[in-house]
Amino acid sequence: MKTQRTRLALLLVMVLALTGVLSACGGGSKQADDGKVTISFLHWRGEDTQTFQKIIDAFEQKNPNIVVDMQTLTSDQYQTTAQAKLTDGSVGDVFASFPGAQFAALAKAGLFTDLTGESFLKNYNANLIEAGSQDGKQWAVPYQLVYNMPIYNKALFEKYGLTPPKDWEGFLKVCQTLKDNGIIPIAFAGGDIGPGQFMNTMVMNNEPSEDIFTKVEAGQAKLTDEFWVKTLTQFKELNDKGFFQPNSLGTKDPAAGALFIQGKAAMLASGSYQLSQNVKQNPELQQGLLAPITVSADQAKYEGVHTSTFMLAVNSRSKHPEEAKKFVEFLSQPDIAAQYANETGQNVTLKDIKYDSKELNIAQEWADKKTVFQPRYTIVNAENQKAVTNSIQAVLGGATPEQAAQDAQAIIDQQIGR
Amino acid sequence: MINRKLLWLFMLPGILLYTGLFVYPALSGLFYSFTNWDGVSPSYDFVGIANYKDSFDSITFRKAFVNNIKFMVVVVVLQTVISLVLALVLAKNSRTHVVFRALYFFPAILSSVSVGLIWSFIYDPSIGLLNMSLQSAGLDSLMGSWTGDAKIALYAIAFVQIWAHAGQMMIIFIAGLHAIPGELMEAARIDGASRLQIFGKITWPLLAPSAAIVISYTTIQSFKAFDLIFVMTDGGPNYATEILTTYIYHLAFSNYSFGLASAGSMIFLVLLGILTFFQFRALRQEGARG
Repeated sequence: MKTQRTRLALLLVMVLALTGVLSACGGGSKQADDGKVTISFLHWRGEDTQTFQKIIDAFEQKNPNIVVDMQTLTSDQYQTTAQAKLTDGSVGDVFASFPGAQFAALAKAGLFTDLTGESFLKNYNANLIEAGSQDGKQWAVPYQLVYNMPIYNKALFEKYGLTPPKDWEGFLKVCQTLKDNGIIPIAFAGGDIGPGQFMNTMVMNNEPSEDIFTKVEAGQAKLTDEFWVKTLTQFKELNDKGFFQPNSLGTKDPAAGALFIQGKAAMLASGSYQLSQNVKQNPELQQGLLAPITVSADQAKYEGVHTSTFMLAVNSRSKHPEEAKKFVEFLSQPDIAAQYANETGQNVTLKDIKYDSKELNIAQEWADKKTVFQPRYTIVNAENQKAVTNSIQAVLGGATPEQAAQDAQAIIDQQIGR
Repeated sequence: MINRKLLWLFMLPGILLYTGLFVYPALSGLFYSFTNWDGVSPSYDFVGIANYKDSFDSITFRKAFVNNIKFMVVVVVLQTVISLVLALVLAKNSRTHVVFRALYFFPAILSSVSVGLIWSFIYDPSIGLLNMSLQSAGLDSLMGSWTGDAKIALYAIAFVQIWAHAGQMMIIFIAGLHAIPGELMEAARIDGASRLQIFGKITWPLLAPSAAIVISYTTIQSFKAFDLIFVMTDGGPNYATEILTTYIYHLAFSNYSFGLASAGSMIFLVLLGILTFFQFRALRQEGARG
């Protein structure tokens, strides 16, 4: 009997211990006994944690009653698990979100606190934070600014007497000259980010509209329309003429980057986020940003593409919304944003920021130019996004532009029908 | 006589854990498959069997299913044959054989993500080891875009899957070979049987239980493949390596179509169940004959 009791007691201890372990997995915002409030800051920029920690330390010094607990997930994980964590309000009093599909889903779920009218919004460039607004309300504030345009090697361009072209004929000539001199014109990561990044500048003037893909998703325009077939045809032309490196569909981002950094390729189909990374690996590199203009110079409406991302938001289920807002306000101070930008090598969406590196200033030069928000991110359904970028891969793999457009449209039609 | 109540009490933590971690998620997956839940919103509507209908109608789902079957057949056939050959060659317990066995087994202890990353670099058409080796050997015509060519990408990944797991299956075959009584072989040899005859009449029939394990394990493993494809191609180029698991993942976590993804998971579960059932039945019969 005694043994039985001992076993029972052991069992209870085990169950209690397990319950304890599980409950310890919770956490998040809480009011501590000492009157301090802990808010949680959830994001995916693991590479920025050191800088953010310095900013948090400064914030905590100014606000001794608020403690900020930072948690980071990888960007893949962020796509998969962040929403579940945010839904119960246990973590992410302040959280970051991607524009496009994730923003749309989180907005639909009502996870954003309305920030419309907050005084700190004045610090931002109004055009660059539109990605965080919906139905006239500012739900999130995009913090980072990226120009999704090919990076080019200035020294190589100078060597062959080339300048960024103003029209499609000019772009093809530049590519041909580079190829004739044994240089790969465009390093293209066709196996991962290449089609998604390069399509932005390729399509921006073929259909100079901010909402063409919104229309495609609404069934009011089709990928089989001229703008997309023309874009695919131009992709095919670049591929057929050998302006991408051989077997570009099997190339991933690091390999394409290596071709550019080593000076084997003159352009890299990526974006401004890659500038500081490139120069770290080759300090001699002279870089600039350019966009292929796919039409004649007089028809070109846009000079480039921008994306504002890393959208800061206050969780509507936060138990400490005021404290969370205070932290977003702190991040929105120009001196703090400048610290973030200069230490992490990321441009920001705030006005009048002083950048202290050449690479950040390269991107900053584009602030006054006519750029359009990244067309790919205006596609809010990820299946549609994939169908669009896959049609580029199909063309590079040998399909005709018409067939590739038709196949992709068939998938979009199914999504519309759902 | 053990007290039955006490027995149940001791099983309780296990049952609770199993229910919480396996039964409950499976049942909630079934539940959500009848809803239009996006995985985030607090609310959702019941949509009946619409998600199942949409899945079967989906062009991407059908492509993924066909790719799944191709991938599975290639991996099961080649992995079984290769691991069997490796086992027959390395069955002796000599030092050299043990070293080679360890070498072939080694990929099995690497994580799939590491394997995927390593092979992504090997396959890279510009800076990858495979094309560079082919070029150095003067075999330029064989150089290719291994994961970028829609016609071969799936098979390039199947090769990696086999590379990673053939050694593991070899160990199962070696265990089976060691269980065959030496006298049988000895008797056959004395009777003048050739190597091929010994393999056909003795070794293979007695290896049937091991083969059953290898084939069924490989079938399930290859049908459920995810990590390698996710890391190496993420289903591309142009859906050439999209399989059901990556399709379900993309639906749930990129497209926020949790209900539809749940329906896809349920269909996947049923397909895998059917496959496993028929395979076990066939293999049991084979085992009984053996």
